[in-house]
Amino acid sequence: MNIPVVFMGGQYNHLIVRALKELGVESRLIPPSTPLEALKVDGLIMGGGPRSVSDGLEKFGAMPGVIRGCPSPLLGICLSHQLIGKVMGGEVVKGRLPEYGKTVIRVIDEDDILRGIGPRFTAWASHNDEVQKNHGNFAILADSEYCGVEALKVDGRAVYGVQFHVEVADTPMGKHILRNFISLYRS
Amino acid sequence: MDSTACAALAHRALGDRLVCFFLDTGFMREGEVEEVVRLLESLGLPLQTLRVRDRFMDSLRGKTDAESKRLAFRETFYTILGEAVKGAGCEILIQGTIAPDWIETSGGIKTQHNVLEQLGVNTKDRFGFRLLEPLLDLYKDQVRAVARHLGVKEASERQPFPGPGLLVRCIGEVKKAKLESLRRATTIVEKHLVSLPSPPKQYLAAIVEDDRSPAGSELEGALKKVIPAGRAFYLKGLATGVKGDDRAYGKILLITRGPPDPSDQFGLPEKMIHADRGIVRVLYALPGPRNRGDYVVIVRAVETRDFMTVKPSVIPPNVLRPIALGILKDERVSVVAYDLTSKPPATVEFE
Repeated sequence: MNIPVVFMGGQYNHLIVRALKELGVESRLIPPSTPLEALKVDGLIMGGGPRSVSDGLEKFGAMPGVIRGCPSPLLGICLSHQLIGKVMGGEVVKGRLPEYGKTVIRVIDEDDILRGIGPRFTAWASHNDEVQKNHGNFAILADSEYCGVEALKVDGRAVYGVQFHVEVADTPMGKHILRNFISLYRS
Repeated sequence: MDSTACAALAHRALGDRLVCFFLDTGFMREGEVEEVVRLLESLGLPLQTLRVRDRFMDSLRGKTDAESKRLAFRETFYTILGEAVKGAGCEILIQGTIAPDWIETSGGIKTQHNVLEQLGVNTKDRFGFRLLEPLLDLYKDQVRAVARHLGVKEASERQPFPGPGLLVRCIGEVKKAKLESLRRATTIVEKHLVSLPSPPKQYLAAIVEDDRSPAGSELEGALKKVIPAGRAFYLKGLATGVKGDDRAYGKILLITRGPPDPSDQFGLPEKMIHADRGIVRVLYALPGPRNRGDYVVIVRAVETRDFMTVKPSVIPPNVLRPIALGILKDERVSVVAYDLTSKPPATVEFE
């Protein structure tokens, strides 16, 4: 099984590779310039990064196209969660109350990705921007006290976004969520 | 720890063809130079100790900005190593750079002293050696596993200590007396916390000038909702952090007159940052006699697997009290405070 990680420049992108390897999945970092046609993969994870989606979609290489057309399961984390929200017609704004460090995620709809975790779990987050509710072609799967869209699923596709970091050791249920993501391909 | 594991690995691969250099930068802890020399020699490593304290101190004089200090340290570090490598007739420098080092440096969070190639520096042209970094893909817990596998048990259990050492815990300008107070406080913190049944994953002291200004009514209003009697001050020094994958270099907030147990206040940094986004650290003054000293000493203890994210450790007040009293015997220290901040938004070290 092969799930590469798109390196978006964030602090934890390499930790996603580590977590996947620990789950027995082959993984490596690939650049955001990688076009959809070059991706012969079982799934794809896109990491976080320092940029803002408000800088313009052209700053994110081939990734907006990959989000629109990726046939295999796709998970976007933090910045890439926001990118998925934006590409799918949503709005991304600077959060009024940013989250850095511990947060408590409230599951609204566990779907496949959050199965067996809720109704609340502790996670680590680090973001200034956030996806706005009430816009875009996606369902909201989770929120928190300070952030209205902590997890989303694109309508009719196995494309997910999480605002928090499943790949860090301080998100105890992170590995469980990654396992749920991996089994999307296996099912 | 990383360097020792790397040296043991290189020794196994290269045997007598290896030369090890240990730089006595002047920023080591009490007795550490002797301790490291003993450890490395006990592993049978061919060691050369370079006594270069003055060169580091000269390169740092007058510098107060955290990144300027780190860049000056790196420049001096590799200039000295380049000379040593040349003197020993070596062509390749093997160093214990690990994943968080290049991730934080190339992400612009802070310039780790041991990251060059990832920033596009040609080490052959610039310093006269090629680089080999065998631990580049690993995190601290994985390096410990490598050290255990190599049979260097003492190294595998060693408390992590950054390359620039006390320099990055001496917030702002490095001065001789300030560094002495920091070194003394470090000994006290380590002595008390290492003897806990389950010591924190990292524990240290830092020091900053006690130059306070009131934090203002909005922030005090937010504070008083949590701690009615509390007061909040900004210190003049700045600390390094990471917010949303970006570098943060911002304000240190000192909370005084709170109840005695800092672990009841771990939610406070988030509320304070929501009142002022410029804050990177929130410190909590520990009870103790009031001194007229020049410095605040900060006690930091954290729990972590890999140092990429950390949370503050729960240390009971009866353990913190003798630490504070011991540090306050130094008349240069006015107050001892506990760091409440997780990573993010802070980093483990202060600069």
